[in-house]
Amino acid sequence: MKKILLSTVLAFAMVTTASAETLKIGLATAQSGGLAPYDVPVVTGLKIAVEELNAAGGIMGKINIELIEKDMRSDVAQTIIAVQELVDAEVSVIVLPCDADPSLAVTGIVDEAKIPAISTCASSPTLPLIGGDFVFANFPGDNVQATVSASWAYEQGYKSAFILYSPDTQYTTLPLYFADVIKALGGSVVGTETYSLGQPDFSSIATKIAAISPQPDIVMTSAYEPDFPSFLKALRAAGVTSQVIGSDGIDSPTTFSLGKVGENVVFTTAGHATKGSELEKFNALFKQKTGKDSDTVFNAVGYDLIKVIEAAVISAGGSTDSQAIRDAIAELENVQGATSLITYKGTTGMPVRQVSIIRVKDGERELVGQPAPVADLIPAPRMQ
Amino acid sequence: MDLFLQQSANAVALGGIYALLALGLAVVFSIMGLINFAHGELMTISGYVLMYCGIAAVPFPLAVILAIGAAILAAIAMERIAFRPVRGSSGATLLVTSFAIAMILQMLFQNLISARSQPVLLPAILSESVTIFGLIIGVNKIAAIISTIVMLIFLDWFMTKQKTGIAMRAAAEDFSIARLMGIHANTVIAGAFALSGLLAGVAAVLWVSQRASVDPLMGFTPVLKAFIAAILGGLGSLKGAVAGGFLLAFIEVYLSAFLPHGMQEFREPIGLAIVVLVLLFRPNGLLPAKTLAAEKV
Repeated sequence: MKKILLSTVLAFAMVTTASAETLKIGLATAQSGGLAPYDVPVVTGLKIAVEELNAAGGIMGKINIELIEKDMRSDVAQTIIAVQELVDAEVSVIVLPCDADPSLAVTGIVDEAKIPAISTCASSPTLPLIGGDFVFANFPGDNVQATVSASWAYEQGYKSAFILYSPDTQYTTLPLYFADVIKALGGSVVGTETYSLGQPDFSSIATKIAAISPQPDIVMTSAYEPDFPSFLKALRAAGVTSQVIGSDGIDSPTTFSLGKVGENVVFTTAGHATKGSELEKFNALFKQKTGKDSDTVFNAVGYDLIKVIEAAVISAGGSTDSQAIRDAIAELENVQGATSLITYKGTTGMPVRQVSIIRVKDGERELVGQPAPVADLIPAPRMQ
Repeated sequence: MDLFLQQSANAVALGGIYALLALGLAVVFSIMGLINFAHGELMTISGYVLMYCGIAAVPFPLAVILAIGAAILAAIAMERIAFRPVRGSSGATLLVTSFAIAMILQMLFQNLISARSQPVLLPAILSESVTIFGLIIGVNKIAAIISTIVMLIFLDWFMTKQKTGIAMRAAAEDFSIARLMGIHANTVIAGAFALSGLLAGVAAVLWVSQRASVDPLMGFTPVLKAFIAAILGGLGSLKGAVAGGFLLAFIEVYLSAFLPHGMQEFREPIGLAIVVLVLLFRPNGLLPAKTLAAEKV
């Protein structure tokens, strides 16, 4: 009797695995805390992609995606716990939080478990470099963004720059790349200031910038909310009229609702919904699924992440083996995501993606251009 | 010289906001012996009211009144729901309770409103600046300075001329005796929370007018600054809170303005070291409360 029961169970188990293949993706992202503003929209976009794929029968029409979600609460220690739990749950791919700093804490675990890990939207090129073979990013690198914006500024005739950065995180040091590029082009950096994340007051820094003579053509910073609007308001109130250049962290509704102060701010980001673009299609899908307009490109970036995994599974011949998927990601070329074409081949894990330059005009986003950066100008990742 | 005066004006404006924040903490501490770390969340509530008023196109002056009113109501509710059941418990219990309230509110904001920063629409005038005696001062800075002065005058009048205010001072000195004199504990404590809500609301409007956005974790930095300012000034002393707020702002702004470039990265540790130094010479703060050892409820 026992034998019959056992064999029935075994047979049943075999039937279920054969009929429904699943790819387990583990999310160790921030659903609360300081990183939630970035991870939550990415995960929303990611889920739309998963839902769409599963509704169509899964990857290659047969591999369903199963998401296992863990909240890392914007905390480094909690990220380690979450990732360890996902490794124990035998996931094939892990999604890491937006910021490079907590992601760096788990690179040892994913490397040892041989599971590919992709950060939702970390843009620091140091992450995959320090992280090793199994860590990938999913956003245009800081050094690439800075090259694009500095080249654009130089072409416009803006030659002297003031940079404001914060040593608190990898991302907020992006202006240092900008300084490298503008100097390499023949421009100059007339001043540098640092700030702390969440600093209550920027008027003393604004007063110092206003006292520089002659005034810099550009003020460049990668500060994001709440620091960016606070700094910008203080800067304009102090009478500084220089061109302000930012980066993807300010791709947020607040930047477009600052009124006169926000006008003419230029920043780099991961995509722009031009007519007939994939991003426009994604935004329509987003509206259909959630009933709301997508108010940030980070939604589309989440969609991209699943497209990358899908492409990797397909090129690995439908394998859900983590090593096979990792090898496939590293060789991916021109995957069509919602924001742009994505290439990992020939990189250290920081994808080649299109960078869009956006200008705030009448409270709306205006595309300035989507230029490809000159490869020789891109600064090497800054290890610190 | 001009630069020095300009930076001093910046410091005065920031000091006003810090003073209001520290006062909010001090009012409650003087009576209950509780550092209310959920004070910052009162500001966040005000911020969200401003945000919703902006979306609903409510005129800004009315929005400000609603935002401040919301902070007062929230402070009273906080006391009624969370602090009254633990009144009279040890300081640690009160402290942990206040942290719990702060976290619960943050999670509610994140899950019910949005994890992302929400833009707050502000009148354009707040981003303008005017030139006074050769100094360029932002309108929002002037608003901060004026509001601080108005609030300080109001507080002084309330504490010395109003019955509830006098009762609160009496309770701060010795709660048991005050009760024996016929003062209602509930009235005094609810009054203290309402007052701290008022201060949080005013500070929130000034704070949000600088940053133009509100997010679920917005309250953390201001409450931290308020805590430092209140300790620096002398915990539980209202005059001390004001002095501490201004001193902290002057330390921060002057360091940011005049510290040599290479040392700017260490601005915050240096600032806090100065605070520690002040406390070494004046362990109870700049203007300590006379009643530091008094019994609290």
